[in-house]
Amino acid sequence: MRFLALIAVIITGIILIYGSVDMPDWGDPHSPASLHVSPRYIEKTMEETATPNMVTSVLADYRGYDTLGETTVIFTAGISCILILRERKRRKKRKINPKNPTNHV
Amino acid sequence: MIATFDIMILVFVLICAIAAISVKDLLSAVMILGAYSFFMCLLWSEMGAVDVAFTEASVSAGIGTVLFIAAVSQTKRRSKD
Amino acid sequence: MFDLIISKYNYWIYIILMMIGFYAMIGKKNLVKKIIGMNIFQTAIILFFISTASKKGGTLPIIMHGHGAHAVKAASYINPLPHVLMLTAIVVMVSTLGVALAIVIQIYRRYNTLEENEILRLNK
Repeated sequence: MRFLALIAVIITGIILIYGSVDMPDWGDPHSPASLHVSPRYIEKTMEETATPNMVTSVLADYRGYDTLGETTVIFTAGISCILILRERKRRKKRKINPKNPTNHV
Repeated sequence: MIATFDIMILVFVLICAIAAISVKDLLSAVMILGAYSFFMCLLWSEMGAVDVAFTEASVSAGIGTVLFIAAVSQTKRRSKD
Repeated sequence: MFDLIISKYNYWIYIILMMIGFYAMIGKKNLVKKIIGMNIFQTAIILFFISTASKKGGTLPIIMHGHGAHAVKAASYINPLPHVLMLTAIVVMVSTLGVALAIVIQIYRRYNTLEENEILRLNK
């Protein structure tokens, strides 16, 4: 089983390394990621939001709805943690018996 | 982006990752994972992403390690592999 | 060949990190070890996205002498957009970590073990 996992991991790694040859070089200023949207954020952030820190202005102003959705995710995670870890006092405790594990249902 | 500094931190990160998944004591593995997070934070501040670096240092290396320690203290510390 | 190694070595190291996490997720039997592998996997992907933001000759994405009136050139600052997206991703990573650890604690309360094969044997 462990041998099979190792083989799957190595095959996936080889495929990813083969794909990485076509990626743009590290630190290339003309890579596609830094040509399309971000020049507008960099050049207009002072006159549109008056914030010198671009990460803050994009996070809270240009993409504020994204941050709102992130807050929803954290809230859902907290609620589900409470629901999972809550002690159920009313019912009997359904602990599984290691000798006879099928009698818990 | 200083190449020697970058390679040094990458080697440390690799060592921490391999150690974190091969240690049998779960509390030690969690501590090594915290060290891994701090090395990752150093790597990001070296790349120029300072906001991501301090978010990682406070959220992932702080709260994540605390959550892991809480979970390990409620369950078993020994692991079989 | 040497140019290829110089410009791509960091991608290869990220792939190796990601494969370490992947192996821990599918090869290890302990559930906490699987969660540690998930953490390493997510961190490697975030590292990859951050590395696409870097530009040679660019500085931090904070405008120097901010409140003076002068033109800002896009090539002299690194790309702030992946940083913003990965800030969100780090917070979501910690949320999934919390829910996963809560599920592990509940599994331990019920089955009294954390090894995957023993849980499957008890559940048969």
